[in-house]
Amino acid sequence: MAFEFELPDVGEGIAEGEIVAWHVSPGDTVEEDQVMADVETDKAVVDLPAPVTGTLLDLHAEEGEMVPVGDVVATIDVDGDGEVTEETPSEDTATEEVAATETAADSEPDQDALEASTGDGRVFAPPNVRRLAREEGVDITTVEGTGPSGRITESDVRAAANGEEQTTTSAVTPRDDGDTATQSTSETTTATTQTTVETADRDQTLATPATRKIAEEEGIDLDTVPTDKTRDGKAFVEEEDIRAFLEAEEASAETSAGADTATTSAGVETATPTPQEVTTEPYRGVRRTIGQQMEESKYTAPHVTHHDTADVSELVETRDELKARAEAEGITMTYMPFVIKAIVAALKEYPMLNSELDEEAEEIQYKHYYNIGIAVATDAGLMVPVVKDADDKGMLQLSSEVNELASKARNREVSPDELQGSTFSITNFGAFGGEYATPIINYPETAILGLGEIKQRPVVEDGEVVAKHTLPLSLTIDHRVIDGAEAAQFCNTVMEYLENPTLLLLE
Amino acid sequence: MVVGDITSSTDVLVIGGGPGGYVAAIRAGQLDLDVTLVEMDAYGGTCLNRGCIPSKAMISASDIAHDATQAEEMGIYADPAVDLQGMVDWKDQLVTRLTKGVESLSERAGAHLIEGRAEFASPGRARIVASGEGQGSESIEFDNAIIATGSRPIEVPGFEFDGERILASEHALSLDSVPESMVVVGGGYIGMELATVYQKLGCDVTIVEMLDSPLPQYGSDITDVVHERAEELGIDFHFGQRASEWEEDGDGLVVRTEDEDGNLTAFDAEKCLVAVGREPVTDTLNLDAVDVETDDNGCIVTDGQTRTTEETIFAVGDVAGEPMLAHKAFKEGEVAAEVVAGEPSALDHQAVPAAVFTDPEIGTVGMTEAEAEEAGFDPITGQMPLRASGRALSLNEKEGFVRVVADGESGFILGAQIVGPEASELVAELTLAIEMGATLEDVAQTIHVHPTLSEAVHEAVKGAKGESIHY
Repeated sequence: MAFEFELPDVGEGIAEGEIVAWHVSPGDTVEEDQVMADVETDKAVVDLPAPVTGTLLDLHAEEGEMVPVGDVVATIDVDGDGEVTEETPSEDTATEEVAATETAADSEPDQDALEASTGDGRVFAPPNVRRLAREEGVDITTVEGTGPSGRITESDVRAAANGEEQTTTSAVTPRDDGDTATQSTSETTTATTQTTVETADRDQTLATPATRKIAEEEGIDLDTVPTDKTRDGKAFVEEEDIRAFLEAEEASAETSAGADTATTSAGVETATPTPQEVTTEPYRGVRRTIGQQMEESKYTAPHVTHHDTADVSELVETRDELKARAEAEGITMTYMPFVIKAIVAALKEYPMLNSELDEEAEEIQYKHYYNIGIAVATDAGLMVPVVKDADDKGMLQLSSEVNELASKARNREVSPDELQGSTFSITNFGAFGGEYATPIINYPETAILGLGEIKQRPVVEDGEVVAKHTLPLSLTIDHRVIDGAEAAQFCNTVMEYLENPTLLLLE
Repeated sequence: MVVGDITSSTDVLVIGGGPGGYVAAIRAGQLDLDVTLVEMDAYGGTCLNRGCIPSKAMISASDIAHDATQAEEMGIYADPAVDLQGMVDWKDQLVTRLTKGVESLSERAGAHLIEGRAEFASPGRARIVASGEGQGSESIEFDNAIIATGSRPIEVPGFEFDGERILASEHALSLDSVPESMVVVGGGYIGMELATVYQKLGCDVTIVEMLDSPLPQYGSDITDVVHERAEELGIDFHFGQRASEWEEDGDGLVVRTEDEDGNLTAFDAEKCLVAVGREPVTDTLNLDAVDVETDDNGCIVTDGQTRTTEETIFAVGDVAGEPMLAHKAFKEGEVAAEVVAGEPSALDHQAVPAAVFTDPEIGTVGMTEAEAEEAGFDPITGQMPLRASGRALSLNEKEGFVRVVADGESGFILGAQIVGPEASELVAELTLAIEMGATLEDVAQTIHVHPTLSEAVHEAVKGAKGESIHY
């Protein structure tokens, strides 16, 4: 009997996932719960465990392929007779699968309309509309029809063309240009092998944003930096690797002085300029999710950003004091817990900033719980893990939780559950430097607070310019729900707490 | 390049002047491309010269002769004399008229016509070999080439066509006189159409077919109607028989066939028509000089824009694979020319209709009920028997039906199978419905002319909705 393994709902109500990597190949023996693949959903990368023990007969999805939940991804021969069946091994799994299917269907309210337009590639659109779709580069199978009986009309195609210019694949793609990347890689290799320094040649390298920054400053391509370390099965480079690489480079440059190798910047300069000046990468997974959410937020909610600066001299002192205490407990104390506490206190005073606009019901929902999303920059892009019930947690707990969530997000180990349910978000772009920004709301929330870099800046005090630690704040609000005055008042309250951290003791 | 070559250049080189090629040439000319059309035989290709048009002419003519003898019910008593030579001359006249038309349409669209055989020298150059030997050759540099070399009848080993006793379909369309008897090897659409023509003209026709029914690609409810009619006409069917050898016998021949158990049967006849299918013509092209791949059947592999595996070369029509139908070639020729001109064209039609001009005709388009089920639809069907159609009865026809297949949930029309008089015409309405994404309701609410056969389409659609009026 062979088992048809359908892609389960690996997150909460996730409709599709990208097979990032298969860890098994046909012919392999798989154990129940053995990790068969890495699946990237729109939020995170998760392991896909084998549902049964048996011999893998076939894989039905390529690496890099988007697979809808419920599609068969693998066939596993359970008892060696190779006969295909759709029976599920136990009732448990069966119910799970049904539940998964239902969730998928629930999350897709327009399922019926979609089915009308796609049935085994059948498209219910007149030929002139199909031609328009080709002209506009719209994949008509992804267009939802609004015409009679769900037919796709010209205006549906035009709407799709305007709305998702960058996400649709053209129906008339020119024949494979996919070897561009390979070409540039091999050119890099040619250039680097001219030096005596050992260089690597990878397609992908993991590193923390800080490490990336260093590499960028030094003009080094991370993919060429040798490393033995791996993370998630992929090469992982740290600052020390870059330093070692740079030293080796310098040494080599000295010994081979006069040689005609143009490798001052570790082989990123090629001998001749490459003819392909544009390379492409697929727009999907986390990147596409970020893009879609930004688009939805910015086009749905009218954004207004309020800027102000808090004098945080006291906060800096307080935090320095507490830092040593926290370290004794093995916790790195950052400013984030203070900011979270200040925000929660201000949200209690101004609940409209902890709200959501339900456009369909035409209701503003005020939330009486405080889940604070913290935007984290990762290799794959922006993720917003959530500190749940921040009002019930102490400083140390907040501190360790924020650190843990951030590192999980960076290592792409964060679960979809930990990325959902925030009511207000913080973006700490100041970690990379900078003062003010215009953050985009983590829709459907109605406000987000951006933190600039805490550093000494000139402040006028009693007619004198003095140097003080200040924290620039950028508060973006959804102007449909919140007015500028409330935004300013909320910001003032946050600042009051940050400028007088002892007030937080009362919280 | 051969010394003495004359080299010219063109935007588009179209190889073959049949339905795929001449349409590509005309369309490319309309799009202001510089077009060169090379034809080695006759403009119009198989379709105009040896296929669709001459066979339909012969079918119509033989119908007139035959129907006149079958009208005693209507009070008509006739015994027409058939002069086959005269019939063939008439057919040849209209073929000439049409091929001249194709030639002048191509010229009017601005295509340069060259007679000869084109073979590739490189992905950007072809050599034109004139039909006569020793005439030297001409080289043409092209930006894009469109291959439209078509197909030819498959020969059964041992039954090489000689045009005397062993006939290909083209020979059967140009005989001097009606033979007394004929063995037709192959019960596909060509064999069935020509067998019907000759049986109606008074020839004694025997069909030997390897499989167990005529027209095996259609469902038995459709082929039964045609099979029964053919037997009524007097055609003798032998299934499960493979033609193995033949020998001369006086002015005629003896064809021997073998069944799967090895039993031999012998058939005496004056002529033997071999119609077991068609194969693509690629051996004239010197494909070794370019990166154009062919599949297991020898057909050129193309993508949804008719482009071959060689970026600059396209292929359309029979040479690009099944279905080998002229109207499929028309569409592909247009798409190829438009893609070459930089337009965003693609082969995104929902269905290719098909017709067989047997007695009665068969017309099909889109999915059968089983295919719709397989594609994930929940199909419903509606069927109107022609014995309930006033117009069919007034044509003295009682057999056949119109069936439509639609998605039960949305009502979208997915396919149709028609067997009956003018089925080839009736299928057009439902093809349009499929392309437009029309539902049963759309067609049901459309007024159809009375009294016509098209009302049967209307009734079948209403039948699928459970709203038949006349049946």
